[in-house]
Amino acid sequence: MFTQFGATAESLSKASTMVFRIGTDAHLYDDPDDVNIAPLLDSKFDSEKCEALKRLLALIAQGFDVSNFFPQVVKNVASQSIEVKKLVYLYLLHYAEKRPNEALLSINYFQKDLGDTNPLVRAWALRTMAGIRLHVIAPLVLVAVSKCARDPSVYVRKCAANALPKVHDLRLEENTAAIEELVGFLLNDNSPGVIGAAAAAFASVCPTNLSLIGRNYRRLCETLPDVEEWGQIVLIGILLRYAIARHGLVKESIMLSSRDLENIASENGASDTYQKGNEDSNAYFGLKESNADLTNGVCKSEVVDIVSRSYLEGPDKYLSKHRCADVLSSELEGLHFTSAKDNEDIKILLLCTSPLLWSHNSAVVLAAAGVHWIMAPKEDIQKIVKPLLFLMRSSNSSKYVVLCNIQVFSKAVPSLFAPHFEDFFMSPSDSYQVKALKLEILSTIATESSISSIFQEFQDYVKDPDRKFAADTVAAIGLCAQQFPKVANTCLEGLLALASHESTYGDNAATDGEAIVLLQAIYSIKAIIGKDPSSNEKVIVHLIRSLESIRVPAARGMIIWMVGEYSDIGNVIPKVLPVVLKYLARCFTVEEVETKLQILNACGKVLLHSKEEELWAYRKVLSYMLDLARCDLNYDIRDRARFIKELLSCYIGSSDTEEGKAQQESRDVSRVLAGRIFGGQIKAPSSEQFSARFYLPGSLSHVVLHAAPGYEPLPRPCSLNFEDPSINSNIVEGAKRPGDGATQSESYTDDPDSVSGSLNEESTSDYSYADSIGGSDGTGGSNVSSSLSEVDVHKEPLIHLSEVGYPNANPDGGSHVDNQYSGSNNLGELISTRSLESWLDENPNSGHNLSEPSSIRKSSARISIGHIHGRVEPKICALLDPANGNGLSVDYAFSSELSSLSPLLVCLQVSFKNCSTEPMMNLQLVEDNKRQDSSDHASAMTESSSHGDVPSLVPMEEIANLGPSETINIMLQVRFRHHLLPLKLVLWCNGKTYPVKLRPDIGYFVRPLPMDIGVFSAKEAQLPGMFEYTRRCIFTDHIGELKKGDKPGTNDQFLVICECLAVKVLSNANFFLVSVDMPVSANLDDASGLRLRFSGELLSNSVPCLVTLVLEGTCFEPLNILVKVNCEETVFGLNLLNRIVNLLAEPARG
Amino acid sequence: MLQCIFLLSDSGEVLLEKQLTGHRVDRSICAWFWEQSIAQGDSFKFMPVIASPTHYIFQVFREGITFLACTQVEMPPLMATEFLCRVADVLSDYLGGLNEDLIKDNFVIVYELLDEMIDNGFPLTTEPNILREMIAPPNIVSKVLSVVTGTSSNVSNTLPVATASCVPWRKMDPKNTSNEVYVDLVEEMDAIISRDGTLVKCEIYGEVQVNSHLSGLPDLTLSFANASILNDVRFHPCVRLRPWESQQILSFVPPDGQFKLMSYRVKKLKNIPIYVKPQLSSDSGICRISVLVGIKNDPRKPIDSITVEFQLPPCVLSANLTPNHGTVNILANKTCSWSIGRLPKDKAPSLSGTLVLAAGLERLPVFPTFQVGFRVMGTALSGLQIDKLDFKNLPSRPYKGFRGLTRAGEYQVRS
Repeated sequence: MFTQFGATAESLSKASTMVFRIGTDAHLYDDPDDVNIAPLLDSKFDSEKCEALKRLLALIAQGFDVSNFFPQVVKNVASQSIEVKKLVYLYLLHYAEKRPNEALLSINYFQKDLGDTNPLVRAWALRTMAGIRLHVIAPLVLVAVSKCARDPSVYVRKCAANALPKVHDLRLEENTAAIEELVGFLLNDNSPGVIGAAAAAFASVCPTNLSLIGRNYRRLCETLPDVEEWGQIVLIGILLRYAIARHGLVKESIMLSSRDLENIASENGASDTYQKGNEDSNAYFGLKESNADLTNGVCKSEVVDIVSRSYLEGPDKYLSKHRCADVLSSELEGLHFTSAKDNEDIKILLLCTSPLLWSHNSAVVLAAAGVHWIMAPKEDIQKIVKPLLFLMRSSNSSKYVVLCNIQVFSKAVPSLFAPHFEDFFMSPSDSYQVKALKLEILSTIATESSISSIFQEFQDYVKDPDRKFAADTVAAIGLCAQQFPKVANTCLEGLLALASHESTYGDNAATDGEAIVLLQAIYSIKAIIGKDPSSNEKVIVHLIRSLESIRVPAARGMIIWMVGEYSDIGNVIPKVLPVVLKYLARCFTVEEVETKLQILNACGKVLLHSKEEELWAYRKVLSYMLDLARCDLNYDIRDRARFIKELLSCYIGSSDTEEGKAQQESRDVSRVLAGRIFGGQIKAPSSEQFSARFYLPGSLSHVVLHAAPGYEPLPRPCSLNFEDPSINSNIVEGAKRPGDGATQSESYTDDPDSVSGSLNEESTSDYSYADSIGGSDGTGGSNVSSSLSEVDVHKEPLIHLSEVGYPNANPDGGSHVDNQYSGSNNLGELISTRSLESWLDENPNSGHNLSEPSSIRKSSARISIGHIHGRVEPKICALLDPANGNGLSVDYAFSSELSSLSPLLVCLQVSFKNCSTEPMMNLQLVEDNKRQDSSDHASAMTESSSHGDVPSLVPMEEIANLGPSETINIMLQVRFRHHLLPLKLVLWCNGKTYPVKLRPDIGYFVRPLPMDIGVFSAKEAQLPGMFEYTRRCIFTDHIGELKKGDKPGTNDQFLVICECLAVKVLSNANFFLVSVDMPVSANLDDASGLRLRFSGELLSNSVPCLVTLVLEGTCFEPLNILVKVNCEETVFGLNLLNRIVNLLAEPARG
Repeated sequence: MLQCIFLLSDSGEVLLEKQLTGHRVDRSICAWFWEQSIAQGDSFKFMPVIASPTHYIFQVFREGITFLACTQVEMPPLMATEFLCRVADVLSDYLGGLNEDLIKDNFVIVYELLDEMIDNGFPLTTEPNILREMIAPPNIVSKVLSVVTGTSSNVSNTLPVATASCVPWRKMDPKNTSNEVYVDLVEEMDAIISRDGTLVKCEIYGEVQVNSHLSGLPDLTLSFANASILNDVRFHPCVRLRPWESQQILSFVPPDGQFKLMSYRVKKLKNIPIYVKPQLSSDSGICRISVLVGIKNDPRKPIDSITVEFQLPPCVLSANLTPNHGTVNILANKTCSWSIGRLPKDKAPSLSGTLVLAAGLERLPVFPTFQVGFRVMGTALSGLQIDKLDFKNLPSRPYKGFRGLTRAGEYQVRS
């Protein structure tokens, strides 16, 4: 060590810490196992025990498995030394779940400690005991918790509250009620410290049981400022949910402001376009937004509307609903509103959360801000702005999260943050993500007055060394310029200068960064010009001039696109066009592919727009380029050339004079077609805001932009008073308060419609209007039918194709083809199946299905195989041969049934058959080691220690009598615990024993996990990399099957293959067949791309396990199958993969 | 709720793992994390929330140590981040800094602390004062004792009484021989000076730090002469919020020892103490640079620890910089730091030199931002003034001390 001494400053400081390391635990960490730990643990000195435990802890810290010391460590739990105790607890908690049986040994000591006079000991004992997580001791823990919940020490009560989620996590149904009762009890505690922990318990144990809160609502609100900070975070969320479920949204709040707006707009008879824009989906968004701005200028009501609906329904559900125009039922219309001004409950919530905006814990501030954002009257919302901005200064890590939230707030109400634009200026310590967010916020909140300062800043950012950020800045400039036409000109100048500046570097420096900036600059220019092309002619000309110097292909492509698009605008452009075209023709061969494509398009457009006299010149250029393109190496370009040539043949080839009338007609058609294709107005791509998903402020989902497991949208407003009669007592109590009674009674007794009657009427009429549009509209129609077809899937037709015009759609009479349009015809049928389904509750996932976008189905057709389950026949294995068993034959087959006893058990169908002529008595299957256990008690201890891990058999009922040639089937339940070795069993029969071996099948260590394709692919996406295993194998079974059924036209080949595969897999493993995807290919024989998906979950821990089979090869040849397993349990996944590969490769039976 | 906490060294080694709930997190996730952070570079390092294939990871990076926390379910992300920050604070307070060795040397204490700070994934005791009573920080005496006698316990065997009191941040009855309280105004000045030398933004982020050694249960009242200049405020939990709401008075029962009573922000300031004037001019592949530093508005207190740092753009091949005062260091990551210290009386410090650009570049395409550091002792540049500090519940009048200190925060000058 000391050789390094004095080398550098760093090693100096290291050396100096060497000195300080004396007397610390350094040596224990560095060489934890340089002494024999075991004897130390048994030492009678506490200090030696301590050292041993520290060594074990060091090994744990370094990731070694030292659970083999468990029995010795557990003994030390009885130690009187508080430090030994603490260390033992740390060890126990780490390993208890692994070694449940030994952990049981410690329970007595915990019980004893729970009665200790020292509260610290009591608390530790409770924490550790609850942390051990054994089902067996759950009742004991529950008793301990309820005892500690009444402990005189606040700290112990707090630990009791913390222990509740641990017990609840064991998922024992019978305890739920008791746990919830305890939560309620602890919420009633008079110490704020306990209330915080109890709130956390509530949130994880029974977040929907809001009646527990109802009892204490006001008291909870009042103690909120005194609750410790972590509890505050959770409690704020709970109180918010309760207030909404109880009283509904506040009518003065932002959440309902869009409703007001609609009202105003329609009262003024503002305009039809406004209404249309409001209800029509994405395409009109831009229009709508600007209108809203005109009407109000404060909130972007559309965004607010989305935000509030997303909060209430969850964005996935909301967005999917939004797509299907006809389901856009006015959910919010039926809501009750309340007023923050005269509802005491809401008032007190706002009053008690507002001082929390000054908390030094950022999470508390954000949670409090969330409450105000949702509940506070619009005029009070200003309150949250400064605290939120101040949060950004607290730590670099929280900055990003805070900005994510501010982003949504500012999108909905730009005016909130508009005066504080300076706070979003970049600081050098910002990471790229933070900068990007700040830019977006800046461009959202820019106003006429601030835009000039913001532009000043942007100009500085453009020169930032981080080029990606510079490019983003350029994009932001473009956005701002579109928003504020006044500054558009300055922006254009700046951007042009930047473009020409960048292009000079584009050549030699050849850095990617510069290319991005340049590209973005041109893109922004294009966007600005697009707003008003005619007045920006000069800019276009300028860009065309700079074509010579700009070398980035995408940027060139964009400029050339502008040439084509605006070829007929103004005076100068038509004049320069011939030269430009010639220039393009000259350099055509050296261009990149994307540029070439743009050149061809541009020429097409020019030709289309050109007048008679110029046509000739252009035509020559174009046909020259088409000739070049036809010989191009890239087939896209050859295709494009062929296409344009065909389309524009009327323009190019008009030199032929003799033409028939039919030809004339077709020329007219192609003229119109060309006009449509090239000259059609391009709609601005729908704003990305619309696709944005909004989650509750301050939630994790909001930051990662997908619903994290456990994310719950706000409860349905006013859902509480109808569902929960226990609240009634509270109402009476509430009504006693003066000034409160009026509002209370109003919100309870009144019909929802009468409360906000006028509001609702207006809006419902809006929606019905939207419906009629949706119905007549093409997009609306297709949406409807897509949702219909989704439902049809569950009807399980034999074959179902969701793609229109698939050539091989209807090969046999049995299959049912459903395309977009037939869907809408059988509406009646649909409704009936739907209601039937809901009645049978057969399809719990239907909600998901509807919400899944149809994106996956684009390239292939989906088949659902109907009667597959009828053909599944599990493989039967022999357990005992009649030759060995004196005429007793025992067979078993794994069953796909799920055990009713425990989800961990695998079911086996065992059939006993008496092949002899004499009756057999007392048949029973028992585990091999059972007898030993009972025979020698001495080894019972050691035996039971290993017992936890070995497979076990649920004791089977004895078969008293089995007559000759009689067969008895018995369901046997085994817990394999993922052991793949044969399980040794003993078969008793007539008093004799036969050793038999039961071979586990890994395919049955799972249970089917029904899901739809969307969920499947989402899950699959979550399990990449190390959780994904693939192997290939050859599959031949189908050939025989195909040959067997080789009568013409009886069956589709693909279907046969799919069925073969599916039956094979399902007969050998307990999976759920998610989907069968068929390739849409021209070649009927080519089965490549056929894809089967199966899903299941592990019995032991419900980890999902996904299997995908992808086929390659032609129908009548052996198929090459790629098997892919996605599973979090690596060992299991690999074993399963091997099993599937083996079973697929082995030839069919019979 | 959090499922697991990992501490990673700056070479990606897992120093510690603490499983918090029954849903164990395999440490392979750290390997995944480290691969990603190598592949994606710096921007990943500053991602506070990462969605890995199996878990959501919260990340806090402090002095070379990466604190990771994993969860699989929805929870407030700031709660995790804030908690990790507290862990980092407490650890660096206990260990007297944070680095790989310190954590390894005291891993038992770290384990014990983590166990007290979080229970079942939910924060339990995070108040430093209480923690100190539960688990004694390592100190020389205990070290020596452990060497000599071979026994020592840093785990207290009694529960701190404060856990049950209504002022959980204070020891119940601390006996201090000294009877004194110090109030420091520690301010950081953030400023942006644009390319043309105008002041774009200047604000102060300040903290009122109190170091109190008072016996009993004292009740303090602190008021400012000009509280109206405060833009935003945040308080330690000990501050009663009602008096602040009504009269802008800080009324509190202080924790024992050093703590941050309040943090505040003062915006829209006009005066900056020093100026930095960078000039860059490029010509045929060589960029001349000159930086001038001087006093702009004299704070009438000495300015010291002046530094100027900037990042050389990636296209710069080599740099030759000479200061007329102080020293210049160019670090491996192309950070150039010029430490000036105190301003000399006779001359204005300047840095001049040349940067050689990459082949083919005529001019410097991007411009670095200069970050300035300085310290002004004895004054709070925001102008915030403490009016008076009153005591109740105290047997004798304690000694009171006030101080001010201003540092540069994010003080950036663009070129």
